[in-house]
Amino acid sequence: MSTVDQAAVTRVKDAVAARGNGAVLSATQPHPDTLRFVIEKNAMRAAVAGLVKELRARFLISVGTDQRPLTGDFSILHLFSLDQDHLYVLLESSVSEKDPWIESITDLVPGANWAEREFRDAIGVRPDGHPDPRRLLLADDWPEGVFPLRRDFPYNYKPPRAENVRPQMLEPPKGASVLPIGPFFPVLEEPAYWRMFVEGETVVGCDTRIFYNHRGIEKLGDSVMTYNEIPYLAERICGICGFIHSTCYCQAVEKAAGIEVPRRARYIRTIMLELERIHSHLLWLGIAGHIIGFETILMQTWRVREPVMWLCEEISGNRKTYGMNTVGGLRRNLANQIMPKLLETLGRVEKETVAIRDAVIGDTTLQARTKGVGTLTNEWAKQVCVVGPPARASGVAIDARVDHPYAAYDEIPPRIATEEAGDTWARVLVRIAELLDSIRLVRDALAAIPPGPICADIKEEIPPGRFGLSVVEAPRGEAVHFVLTGGDNRPYRWRVRAPTYPNLQAMPAMVEGANIADVPITLGSLDPCFSCTERLETIDRTTNEVRVYSGAELLEMSRRRVCPGGAR
Amino acid sequence: MTAWLFKVFLLCLLNVAVALLLAPLCEGLMRKLRAAIHSRIGPPITQPYWDLLKLLGKEDLRSTRGSVYAAMPALTLGSALLLSALIPLAGMRAPLAFAGDLIVVLYVATISGVLIMLVGFASASPYASIGSSREMMMLLSVEPILAVALTVGAFKAKTLTLGGIINWQVQNGPSISMAIGGVAFFLALQAVAGKLPFDIAEADQEIMGGSLVEQSGPRLALFRWAMWVKQLVLALLLVQVFFPWPHFGIPPVDLVTTAVKVLLVLILVAVIDVVNPRLRIDQAMGYFMRVGVSSLAALAFAVIGK
Repeated sequence: MSTVDQAAVTRVKDAVAARGNGAVLSATQPHPDTLRFVIEKNAMRAAVAGLVKELRARFLISVGTDQRPLTGDFSILHLFSLDQDHLYVLLESSVSEKDPWIESITDLVPGANWAEREFRDAIGVRPDGHPDPRRLLLADDWPEGVFPLRRDFPYNYKPPRAENVRPQMLEPPKGASVLPIGPFFPVLEEPAYWRMFVEGETVVGCDTRIFYNHRGIEKLGDSVMTYNEIPYLAERICGICGFIHSTCYCQAVEKAAGIEVPRRARYIRTIMLELERIHSHLLWLGIAGHIIGFETILMQTWRVREPVMWLCEEISGNRKTYGMNTVGGLRRNLANQIMPKLLETLGRVEKETVAIRDAVIGDTTLQARTKGVGTLTNEWAKQVCVVGPPARASGVAIDARVDHPYAAYDEIPPRIATEEAGDTWARVLVRIAELLDSIRLVRDALAAIPPGPICADIKEEIPPGRFGLSVVEAPRGEAVHFVLTGGDNRPYRWRVRAPTYPNLQAMPAMVEGANIADVPITLGSLDPCFSCTERLETIDRTTNEVRVYSGAELLEMSRRRVCPGGAR
Repeated sequence: MTAWLFKVFLLCLLNVAVALLLAPLCEGLMRKLRAAIHSRIGPPITQPYWDLLKLLGKEDLRSTRGSVYAAMPALTLGSALLLSALIPLAGMRAPLAFAGDLIVVLYVATISGVLIMLVGFASASPYASIGSSREMMMLLSVEPILAVALTVGAFKAKTLTLGGIINWQVQNGPSISMAIGGVAFFLALQAVAGKLPFDIAEADQEIMGGSLVEQSGPRLALFRWAMWVKQLVLALLLVQVFFPWPHFGIPPVDLVTTAVKVLLVLILVAVIDVVNPRLRIDQAMGYFMRVGVSSLAALAFAVIGK
């Protein structure tokens, strides 16, 4: 564990106390790296301003929790990170049911925009003074006044039928026309709806509607599943960085329960996390090439990537979605006889990656398409709290592996790659540098991996009312999981924030003034992952029934061109 | 008179049949080459024929009413085939040479591009209209280059007939001005054939196929076919006008050498296509502006007799 400077702790406490003006109800340090302040809701804005303006704290996410069964009130929690000081700061306020609003902090922290809209949709606490009154995560036909993350809301609720609903979208400025990108679009692997306001070929603004992929994951986590089932659900949040989410969840629970994970397990987690980064970055590089029509890069990077997938399959039994993580450690050991093969494959991947890097870096046409395209300024990157490669390419040197070390990263530290330009080219360079560094990290981890058990022995039940906050540096940026432990062997509240969540919020500024041709690569350069970002309810609207279709049924339906519940 | 007409008709039929039937094969070869550079096995060389067959058997859906819109695909393919009859397969004389000279060739070569542009504007889709405006910009920047390059030949041979230019080339051998003209023509060919880095008007990843986004089934088949024919015929024009050597004067032998040269040109087009990302429309226009200015050098060389 990294050591937390006591001076920093004092500094934060002083800043919050000074701004809080007597409204600070309690200040505690539940974990060595976490400070928790409970403050009156009308002092929240001032405290946030103090943290952000004076201490340059970085906003992570807001968590709205329905604590009415416990305290009678809702609770709104804003999470911050002081990256230099390796410290998390939690600001918590209770909001009464009769008066469910809290002052918005979006004008202080533009990156809090979606987080505040999300708790308004999910538990019904209104962020007062928020600039955007539209829904974020609820479907457009979701009834008014029904809040899915409230405790009295059943996970299998069926909303009434609604007709003729449309997403509320902004009107284009005068003289501009609309170019829709999505909800289904060739370069988006998942549904997302962007409306580009264009004048000729120039983008003058954009509006977005996402959250088409809600799967009710957080709700399932606090109502149906148990602590040890959730890692498998968490792993399915994302098809690429699944292990990141299961690790992040397990770490949050382990932290809340005070479970010490064996050293070998931490090393194996590191190896798997870095293998995921390697195959994810290779995947991204290929897709970036594909977006600008450079199919050769796509084909070659994916060819190089394939042996990494085979390795993962050999280690875990699956190419993806390994099912290895559990609270307290791992379910599956890394067999020693795989290691020589791992090293040999990594050697080949490294050699071919270097060849691809040299080809990419020397390609002038590629540079013409990426240099100066989709520029994200350092200032705006900090304001919107962008994470991961997009942040590092804009000169914001943050990396969860260094700022809040987890797994074995305190013993084998990564090298942070940064660029200053903030354009798509810089993001390409950062990712290639990280890719090569990940290969080194796996080698270092394999050299230093200790023998021993891979799972902690957990005898006691996890006590309720504790919380754990964990971050993991996914290939796309930092993932955040927050767990508040509950009674019946499951979390009371489980909050997931994927890296795409803050990164997508930077998109409008990045495409403004751009050429239409540059929009897909700009979006692609964020490596967006919509299913990570979106996690709520899937309900069949036409029959009002919760129903799961098998792949074969869907295929059959698409062949017969029959809409469910309707004749055509 | 009737015998003459019959002969012209047969020769035209030969040219059209060759263009129509071999164009998908050339496309198939180019796809195979792409796949090889991608480290893929790739589809069989005959795949484009199966593609056409499948598309032709599908439902005919139209996003716009009107007989002109309905006729667009056929007109586009027709214009490409007309172009094929204006260019000699081997020898000096095109079957339809009596009907027009270089200027007609230039006009006919432009028709299919213009028709695809119009069909995009008529499709009532934002992607198609952006694709069409890009198509228009590409046409405007590429057509002058084709014109300048061919004018060099006309200037040197002091004739506007294609046969005359080819004849002059065969008699006089290579020259600097015609070499520059040929290179400029080749660069323009890359754009006219809609290959990377100039497939900007289609740009699947940006505007989902551009002008042709609303086309499907038999309509799409005809547009595709037209574009393949055009790519083959323009490669033939390039080879015949700018690189007609060696010329043996024996039609079957000349036919074989021409076929080999055309294939080489198409291979080069495919290789450039596969090793480049797509340019942006402004970048492409800037590029062709420079190519256009450089091609004027060919005219200057022609004036001083080089």
